[in-house]
Amino acid sequence: MNCFGKFLLAISISVFAGSAALADGYKNCTKLNKASWKPASDAEAKAKAAGYEVRRSKVEGSCYEVYGVKEGKLYELFYSPEDLSLKHTIAK
Amino acid sequence: MSDLVWDWPLRLWHWTLALFVFIAWFTPNKYDSLHRFAGYVVIGLLVFRVGWGFVGTRHSRFRTLRARLRAAPAYLWGLGHGITGRYMGLNPAGAAMMVALLSLLTISTITGAMEVTVSFFGVWWVEDTHTYSSDAVMILVLLHVLGTILMSVLLRENLIWAMFTGRKLRRRGE
Repeated sequence: MNCFGKFLLAISISVFAGSAALADGYKNCTKLNKASWKPASDAEAKAKAAGYEVRRSKVEGSCYEVYGVKEGKLYELFYSPEDLSLKHTIAK
Repeated sequence: MSDLVWDWPLRLWHWTLALFVFIAWFTPNKYDSLHRFAGYVVIGLLVFRVGWGFVGTRHSRFRTLRARLRAAPAYLWGLGHGITGRYMGLNPAGAAMMVALLSLLTISTITGAMEVTVSFFGVWWVEDTHTYSSDAVMILVLLHVLGTILMSVLLRENLIWAMFTGRKLRRRGE
């Protein structure tokens, strides 16, 4: 096979190697041990209190990621499981 | 002797699709607007491809697709025994790969677009389908590239270059 084929193969492999690192969003909220985390339902309640319609929440790295809708707009809210402080907001 | 196999709209389509799938793969979460733009471009390209499958030149058309799909399992078995066959357009395995890639890209882009609607935002199966179909696309892309390189070696013809020039060596039996 020629150089061009090898070049494409190298690209393909780097795509897979690089994807894992690049595909992640916001994910560092706390260094606290997971066993000491406040429950995810508290993060959801906090988003509700802030006026969001909560769709779902999940653990993302060391954050609680809450999917919220407010006035027809989509948001991803990142709360620290340590003190439930809002670390980051992404408008989708 | 070489013949024009891939018409220029098909070649442009192929490399534009490759570029935007590549961009989309590297941009989720971190570069949301670019990721979304790439997804919409891919949707447009998929629509074009379906249309081109009916009005394009001979090897762009879907006319013989059903027969080639049926022949794919036997073709792959034969390939394992060194039988490459003679095809100017896609061989049966290539045709199966194209159908699989286009189907998965359709699923991936539609669920991706759904994820950012108020109705489907945060709906787990939409998000999971988008993630898994996108991963599957990249695995198939890798197999597609490896398959193309394998066939290039077996046929002693640079098939990747053929997708730039559109020209392939004429084979007996065509």
